[in-house]
Amino acid sequence: MSRYLLAIFSVAALLASLLADPVVAADSVDSVLQAENVALSAGHAPLAVVDDLAFLRRASVDLSGRIPDSTQVDEFLSWPTSQRRVKLIDQLLAGERFADRWTVFFSDLLRLRSNVTGGSALTAYVHQAIQQDMPYNQLVRRLIATNGKANNTPEVGFVLGDNADPYALASVTAQVFMGVRIGCAQCHDHPFDVWTRKDFYGMAAYFGKTRRVESTLTRVVYTTESNQTTVLWPPEGETEDVDRKPMRPRFPFEMIAAGKQLAFIERFQQAVVARQQQRGPAGPSVEDLLAATAEKARQRTRAAGTPELDVATEAKSTLRQIDVKGSLYRHSALRDQLGELVTSPRNRLFAQSFVNRVWKELVGRGFVEPVDDFRTDNQPSHPRTLDYLAEEFVAHGYQFRHLVRMIVSSQAYQRSHVAADADDLVREELESAFWATTPRRMMSESLYDSIVVAGHLFDYKYPDGQNKRVVTETVRVLVEPASPKVAAVTDGPLNEQPLGEQEVETEMRPETVAPAGYALEDAIELDFKALLSKRDDVDIERMRVMSKEELEARRMMMAERAKRPVSGKYETRLVKREYDDNPKFSSAFRMASPAPAGHFLRVFGQTARNELGEQRDPDPTMRQALMMLNGRLAHEASRVGSLEPLHALIAQGKFEQAVELAYLEILTRKVTAEEMADAKELLQAAATPFQAIGDLRWVLLNCNEFRFLP
Amino acid sequence: MHMSCPGYRMSRRSMLATGAGASLLGLPVRELLARADSVGPTRAEHVILFWNGGGMSHVDTWDPKPGRPVQGEFDPIATSVPGIQISEIFPQFAQQMQHVALIRSIAGTQGDHGRATYNMQTSYLSGPNLRHPGIGSVVVHECENQGDLPAYISISGQAPRASYLGQRCEAYYVANPGDKDPYLAFPEGIAEVRGNRRLDVLARYNQKFARQRGKTGFQATQTSIDDAVRLMRSPALQAFELSNVPQQTIDRYGDTTFGRGALLARRLVEKGVRFVQVNRGGFDTHSNNFPAMENHGAVMDSALASLVADLAESGLLKKTLIMMVSEFGRTPRINDNAGRDHWASCFSCMMAGGGVKPGVVVGKSDEDAMQPADRPVNVPDLHATLCQLLGIDHSKEVMTPLQRPMKLVDNGKPVAELLA
Repeated sequence: MSRYLLAIFSVAALLASLLADPVVAADSVDSVLQAENVALSAGHAPLAVVDDLAFLRRASVDLSGRIPDSTQVDEFLSWPTSQRRVKLIDQLLAGERFADRWTVFFSDLLRLRSNVTGGSALTAYVHQAIQQDMPYNQLVRRLIATNGKANNTPEVGFVLGDNADPYALASVTAQVFMGVRIGCAQCHDHPFDVWTRKDFYGMAAYFGKTRRVESTLTRVVYTTESNQTTVLWPPEGETEDVDRKPMRPRFPFEMIAAGKQLAFIERFQQAVVARQQQRGPAGPSVEDLLAATAEKARQRTRAAGTPELDVATEAKSTLRQIDVKGSLYRHSALRDQLGELVTSPRNRLFAQSFVNRVWKELVGRGFVEPVDDFRTDNQPSHPRTLDYLAEEFVAHGYQFRHLVRMIVSSQAYQRSHVAADADDLVREELESAFWATTPRRMMSESLYDSIVVAGHLFDYKYPDGQNKRVVTETVRVLVEPASPKVAAVTDGPLNEQPLGEQEVETEMRPETVAPAGYALEDAIELDFKALLSKRDDVDIERMRVMSKEELEARRMMMAERAKRPVSGKYETRLVKREYDDNPKFSSAFRMASPAPAGHFLRVFGQTARNELGEQRDPDPTMRQALMMLNGRLAHEASRVGSLEPLHALIAQGKFEQAVELAYLEILTRKVTAEEMADAKELLQAAATPFQAIGDLRWVLLNCNEFRFLP
Repeated sequence: MHMSCPGYRMSRRSMLATGAGASLLGLPVRELLARADSVGPTRAEHVILFWNGGGMSHVDTWDPKPGRPVQGEFDPIATSVPGIQISEIFPQFAQQMQHVALIRSIAGTQGDHGRATYNMQTSYLSGPNLRHPGIGSVVVHECENQGDLPAYISISGQAPRASYLGQRCEAYYVANPGDKDPYLAFPEGIAEVRGNRRLDVLARYNQKFARQRGKTGFQATQTSIDDAVRLMRSPALQAFELSNVPQQTIDRYGDTTFGRGALLARRLVEKGVRFVQVNRGGFDTHSNNFPAMENHGAVMDSALASLVADLAESGLLKKTLIMMVSEFGRTPRINDNAGRDHWASCFSCMMAGGGVKPGVVVGKSDEDAMQPADRPVNVPDLHATLCQLLGIDHSKEVMTPLQRPMKLVDNGKPVAELLA
């Protein structure tokens, strides 16, 4: 088989193959799948791949999170037919939106939440990791092993997301990174699987010495390592407390034996070497980094008037993850070991579970379903194809883009849908054999951005001041603010963080009100770069130089704040407001996430990311219908802006061309004769041709064809 | 066929009057009578469920422990029912205790938010292979709609999904109670005629697409659109708007999200809505439990008291079951951060109206509220009680998509002491 041949390639050849053509790899996925389907006697023939325009739409949504605009369609069609798909994949993988789109995938996987301590910084960090092609194993190792201060060390947001609770983190590590639901074994031996309670406690013990620390004054949060473990065996209540002993960490998952040499592992090792060579002899040394940090610290303290020494000392201890003065940010040797084990190429589940998830995201169903339930009673539908993809992924140094490329280049990804008249059984057989594409809805973020693209709403589509209007609004004005601490508890939405975990910045932020009305369709972009450069450690340093009196004053200020009334006092007022009705929308992929409950993104399936294993719900709801039928986004997207090319066509009386463009912009395809006739009927009924096109666009944006991938 | 609320609005006498051998709804009267007996007489028609997410401390609310180290910072106060004391954070509500019943011996088994929430909202334990519907979906599945409004409405937070009971049983979500919902009418500038024309064309397009791709999965979108349009055209919609309610009334409930939520719940029930869930978060008080609970009390007290009083006065309380639950209680022991942690082994809930025996306390916790001291009530018992009060047969089986029969409630037994 070709993968064994590959093993004897030299490093140089391997490097070349890393960059070289994906068609070979794609053929391989398909050939393994083909062989396996024959063996499984799937009994059907594979369906043909979709046409070029459908592929363009499908791949654009999957890799850039939005449908192509007409310029992209033209460019794509200008390429020679034989190269179109390969070129498009290259372009999309290299494009800046790739990281945006897949950050959402990782955010669902890792349950990234902007509203928990360190959550925003971690999201930005993951975004950067995707952008810069950080290998998946490296990313995971950092998430598992890093201690440090929230936001300052973004990776620590992962452990903080579960409050550094060893039991929660044991479940998370197993389920998220290996697709195994070991969590049931916390209370009892797993009923359907091999996991025992002791296995669970052994996993938890890796996290047993990690502590989440919060300064009571500044509310700065960090994690560090203690000498004592909190994970004891036997479990609480099973025996007298004095008899409970520290649990020894133990990794319960099967590993490929250390002595066993496998081709894909050798290739992995070669890929790592190749990557290092590619990067040049050495990256910046620790000493270089220290020097740079010290310089930054010097600059900062000059402004803040802090003694230089303290800051530099702390900066160094952060960087080296050792502590000079006491126990700040101590490095976790246990979690380091765990990170090694989890991400080792000898741990098959690590690559398999990830590959399975990415395959599902792109192809519509996983080899193992549910994707986080790998167990002996729930075998993959196509074990060899899954193995093949996983081994290729490992052999290519866990490069995420390579994995995506293998999948989207495959025929399995590009197939058409089962014909309408097929019976349900045949449909199921074809789709489960990956001989036909499973119908897939755009995920909420892609739906949002695609409407914005189709409606020319990423930019202003009317000239400045053309739509000036005056409106009278009733607003509720806060005349007497509540204590912010209290307001967050009393009037907050569900899933609010516990009181003890709110960040101190809350008091400086503007009053946050749960969104309602059309605000449910806003997308306010986060600046990922700014989030990563944010260094809020000033607080700790500032504290050190605060005098006793200053500290007392601060304490009193906070106590005073706590005394304010329980809820603010509001008054209703009428306000006249002039505004230019010329809206512009931002990308949903860069919003703080998860969006507030009831927001467009949540209504269309984004989860709260609280529960482990939450999946996006693909079913339509009445809320979704109301939001699309009557919402601001769909409405604004349908209106024809006077700066749009479409406007000029209508103004010149070129109605048919306008209809053609509308179809291309919204559905990425040509209009049929029947549809053209329908459009002309709309023209007859409408007051103006602009309204007719507006109505047509509204229908196209609302119809199932728009929402489901071709 | 959809059989709604057996015995619904039909007394035993009126059925007897139809005579032996006659049949109602195609069922022999004898069988109907037997059924009515097995599920008891119908009392409740509506439910208002207060969902306190995060795990509400039972010691600081319904089950005070004066003089014990676990007591914390609140004292108990007397209520309108001699012998029943509740925490001082509910002074107004204490005066409505003659309408209220408390359970102080819920024996939960789940200490994790996700699993406990699932258990309390569905009666089932969460498992990997099947998602069970929330109790609100069960109720609207079994009871026919009254009026135009959605039968199941969730305020200030999401309700659990309907799962295999289908889209009809999903909750309609209201973000901010009292605000006008712009999504219930065509956008500004789209006249009625034009809006309706768009809807017609859209329906045609979706039909055509379903013909091309096969019906799988696409029909549900059109159903959701049809439901949406029906709601948009209903005059009952004005119940959602609190702008016409006198400020005095709003202040009586408390001009807070929660107060408005409780007021809205009352107005919705008056319009025939079957199940209203009012959500509130912030009960996960691992630290600073006491100021947090004091705030919760200050916000919830007037709202709950006014709701019970108003419904009692209008007579609707007889037909409306009010229930306040949380996924679990909190450790009686106070931790080093002046907080309380998760505690599932023993906690409390509040019920009122809808045929619940008023002014009683069911069950007792031990001296430190650690374990039920008598009459342990299992979580599914709460669901079975709710069903019993609504005349729903809680042991009825429905089919999942994989043709697996599932009971409406996971083996609960109604709490007899609560049934008036």
